[in-house]
Amino acid sequence: MDPSNQVLPTKENSLFKRILKCYEQKQYKNGLKFAKQVLQNYPNHGETQAMKGLTLNCLGRKEEAYQLVRQGLRNNLKSHVCWHVFGLLQRSDKKYDEAIKCYRNALKWDKDNLQILRDLSLLQIQMRDLEGYRETRYKLFELRPTHRASWIGYAMSFHLLKDYSSALKILEEFRKTMQKNTYDYEYSELLLYQNMVMREAGLLEEALEHINTYKESICDKVTSLEIRGELLLALNRPTEAEKFYRVLIDRNHENKDYYLKLEKALELSTVEQKLALYKDYSLKFPRAHVPRRLPLNYATGEVLEALLEPYLQKCLLKGVPPLFTDLQSLYDQPGKAELLETLMYRYLHNLETCGRLDPSDESSDKEPACILFVLMYLAEHHSHLNNTETALKLLQRALDHTPTLIELYIIKGDILKRAGDLLGAVDAVTEAQTLDTADRYVNSKTASFMLSANLIQAAQDMCSKFTREGVSAMENLNEMQCMWFQNDCAHAYYRLGQYGMALKMCHQVDRHFTEIIEDQFDFHTYCMRKMTLRSYVQLLRLEDVLRSNEFYWEAAILAITIYLRLHDKPITDVTFENDINTVDMSPAELKKYRARQRKNRKAEERKQEEKRKEEKKAEQKKKQSGQDDLENPPQEELIPHKLERPADPINEALNFLRPLQALLPQRLHTHLLAFSIHLRRNKPLLMLQSLKRAWSVDRDHPELHTSFVQFLKYCKDSLPRKYQAPVVTPAESATPVPLPSNEQGSNKPNPTNHHHPSNKHIKNSKDNKNNNKDKNQRKNHHHNHQNNIASNNTENCKTDTNASTEIIAPTKPSINLEEEEANFDAQEAVVVAIIHEVMTSLVGTVDPVKLNEDFLNKNNESLPHRLQAARSMMFLDSVQKQRAIGIATEIGDHIKGRNLENLQTVLEWLEGLECEASPEEILRFKSQSQKLFPRAQIFMSELPQSHTTTVTTTTADGAAALATTTAVSGVITSVAPSITDDEITANCQQYDEVIVNHVNHVDG
Amino acid sequence: MNIRCAKPEDLMHMQHCNLLCLPENYQMKYYLYHGLSWPQLSYVAEDDRGNIVGFTLHPPLSSPQITRAKRLPTPPLIQLFHHRRLGLAQKLMDQTAKAMVEAFNAKYVSLHVRRSNRAALHLYTNTLQFTISDIEPKYYADGEDAYAMKRNLSPETLDLPDL
Repeated sequence: MDPSNQVLPTKENSLFKRILKCYEQKQYKNGLKFAKQVLQNYPNHGETQAMKGLTLNCLGRKEEAYQLVRQGLRNNLKSHVCWHVFGLLQRSDKKYDEAIKCYRNALKWDKDNLQILRDLSLLQIQMRDLEGYRETRYKLFELRPTHRASWIGYAMSFHLLKDYSSALKILEEFRKTMQKNTYDYEYSELLLYQNMVMREAGLLEEALEHINTYKESICDKVTSLEIRGELLLALNRPTEAEKFYRVLIDRNHENKDYYLKLEKALELSTVEQKLALYKDYSLKFPRAHVPRRLPLNYATGEVLEALLEPYLQKCLLKGVPPLFTDLQSLYDQPGKAELLETLMYRYLHNLETCGRLDPSDESSDKEPACILFVLMYLAEHHSHLNNTETALKLLQRALDHTPTLIELYIIKGDILKRAGDLLGAVDAVTEAQTLDTADRYVNSKTASFMLSANLIQAAQDMCSKFTREGVSAMENLNEMQCMWFQNDCAHAYYRLGQYGMALKMCHQVDRHFTEIIEDQFDFHTYCMRKMTLRSYVQLLRLEDVLRSNEFYWEAAILAITIYLRLHDKPITDVTFENDINTVDMSPAELKKYRARQRKNRKAEERKQEEKRKEEKKAEQKKKQSGQDDLENPPQEELIPHKLERPADPINEALNFLRPLQALLPQRLHTHLLAFSIHLRRNKPLLMLQSLKRAWSVDRDHPELHTSFVQFLKYCKDSLPRKYQAPVVTPAESATPVPLPSNEQGSNKPNPTNHHHPSNKHIKNSKDNKNNNKDKNQRKNHHHNHQNNIASNNTENCKTDTNASTEIIAPTKPSINLEEEEANFDAQEAVVVAIIHEVMTSLVGTVDPVKLNEDFLNKNNESLPHRLQAARSMMFLDSVQKQRAIGIATEIGDHIKGRNLENLQTVLEWLEGLECEASPEEILRFKSQSQKLFPRAQIFMSELPQSHTTTVTTTTADGAAALATTTAVSGVITSVAPSITDDEITANCQQYDEVIVNHVNHVDG
Repeated sequence: MNIRCAKPEDLMHMQHCNLLCLPENYQMKYYLYHGLSWPQLSYVAEDDRGNIVGFTLHPPLSSPQITRAKRLPTPPLIQLFHHRRLGLAQKLMDQTAKAMVEAFNAKYVSLHVRRSNRAALHLYTNTLQFTISDIEPKYYADGEDAYAMKRNLSPETLDLPDL
């Protein structure tokens, strides 16, 4: 680098300044022009090159951009501009850690550069580098003490680090400088933020004094009252708190929390006292709902009945459809369900006989519609108690009364779905949907039911009535982050065996979360300007735990399940034939069959190819239409075909698992799935850790038992592991990635890491390395590499004839193999001892067979437990298959827990990879289950061939009809040969989709 | 039923409900923008199980603090999800209106409704006391006209006791 040609003469310098301006004003083409002029005479001017690169990046020419920027940097390593630009480039690719490094380098050369400092602070808070953030905010504060944001940012940096006293000092100083108008929203927000910090610091007295002093300036009266009420309660001054809650209730009669807090303030302890309170308020606010609903939670017996009657009657006369939902929580309390039933039947009787709810009340008008709502309520009531037939009869009466009430069809659908009649449910809600095509709620419900019945195409067509024109429903729903649909759809694909598509949906859901975490970036600056600091801090805390959301949980669980399955049984394209019993086919039939399969596969491939081309075209169009969201690079395309052939399914599963471990450790299945993953990684201590965590969540859960059995069997078979001499691959020796602490400890949840893409990157490469080694060793009977030892060695010796070895120059003196082996064996012995100790304390034995037998004996009347015992039996010794099946499929009357869900789980097990029961056994179980749940499609051996939905809507009739019949094959949940070839032959002549589905899920 | 001020944690559920029940949808960033700009103006209605069955989300357009340089799409003032006949609309509107007056000195609330949306029109004019102030042709992206509706807020000012 030649320093002399890095300084520009006046003419070029002004051109350079114009390049900067053009970039700021997004006039990229002009910027390039000017850059060209400068570079003509000064081709090695680093800063110009860098700016040109940055401009190119905004035009989507990413590779050139990087090349140029790097070149520019090489030409002028001391330029803060070059480093800053490089940082901006990294940031636009979301490589935040790298960007931070670049900014820091830039600051070395221009330590007081405000712009760089600001950019750096944004990245630091985004990445939650709180210490760094505080440092940077301090510098900004020093440089610009008159700037409002400097004070706030600096104070906040202390707040987030929980250094409350420093934060408060700064805030107070700042507060004094703020001009107070009579109405000043921003000043009000500042005061509220200041108060928030005080309360978090535990300075409750001070906080109360503070808010009393400034209450006039606080515009948000509600929050002001709420805070004072809460503080007084917390400071044990309930009598003073009382008036605040009364004022709040006057203002908002329908806030439950206010009433509950008022109870506390009045120190009410008995039920009578509470009921008296609500009686007061019911009289005071006759139209308010909450004061009449809350006492129902407390009252019992006759008192409850006295309260319920007017409540129910009022709702029934008015006609409130969600009455059941409103009262549902009462069903958890003993006796209340019965009371409600009694009352409702009484009303029904009264209405039938004299047309009034209360026969003694001669004055009240006869209300003809009332009976409808009584019937509706009773139908939902019985459905809740699983009295399907009763529920349906009542609902039918309601429908006969008013066939146009949409809610009734939805309830019918719910009832049928609970009973397992998925297709019937679809029919019911479809009918509702035709009654009001403008109601998206019904539309969504219909689509959702269709997805439960695996009618994916029909569901998409249904949704497309509300999605944007010109794009496919799936694409628009993805754009709008419609996660309920994507999750339900993923599950449908999974049941159909289309794992690629299912994974695509799971990944899409995951990406939404990434996107929402990204979204907060702009708000770091925005909220400072707007002064809505409380909400801002709440946002930061929300984003920290974003993936604890239910949608992520469902998507992650499904993705992990699929990846584990793909690990156990990878998709190879020649296996499908083995699953069909081709032995019985004559050679001519076989030839025809094969030809048909080939033809369909080709058709499918052509379809995929076309789809890909179309998607690519759509993407091109988007790019050309000049979307200015070029800051975000287009994400890697999710191709189902590729997704279901992952190079490293275990690693993919781990990626989904980590946020669950960090954010949802209180859920049993987080740990059960973690166990399943580690089992396939041959990591006994991690397995044990997962089991311990699971045990502390729910030690009696039947699925946990099976995990224990699997673990003990693994230990029996595979521990202690034999020493394997370390194998060094070239990649490993070239890039020594700094490994974090011991493998055992690395599984500790790190809450901030789960959304750091670059950290993930590092973790991935480490896990990849381990898995590569695992693959090598798989030939050697699952003996695992002792990674801990190996990672510290950098040489190898030729002890393994299979493994390829590379002798590299040793950095240490040559190791003593015997010594290594002795160390390894000693460590293994420790591992075995630990396991022995822990397992004995948890379950009392290390003998899996004994454990299982005891478990079975203890729980032999519970269906879910019996199933797990059966599963364990299969894991221990597949010779016991018959006995296992016998145990799981016993559903006589003495067995408890014979609900639809449990029976379904047994069936899935019978049909799945773990058991692979014979068709006769499956059929036998199905027919037995059918006696208990006659409406459930899943237990029907012959599906209603003539089933058609009553879709009469304008669009997609053909597709709907086709889609309906895919239910014939779709409801079958696994690969087991329960479809005979004859059935396929018969169906395929009419329904291509059935075959395509079958081929696809046979592949899986 | 429970009616309370919205928190950032509610925003994702609000988006979910909106996608489930209404045709005009927004990406999450939009909810963040509203929830973080005017936190006092978002109220949610929950059912007994804690599911969100309605909410308000609306900028205080009439407030002197707000200048609208470009026309942002504003979400409907009130969004209700199939939990009918409980008077939720009015209750949500009341709370939001009070907050608008107190926190933002708003003198009126204004919003737009599709001409074809008879249900919404009925709700705003009859239950919530709005009046039609104007017709704006081709207001919506698909070319549909909009009714501009307005409601004055001065009578809403609460006299809170001096606590």
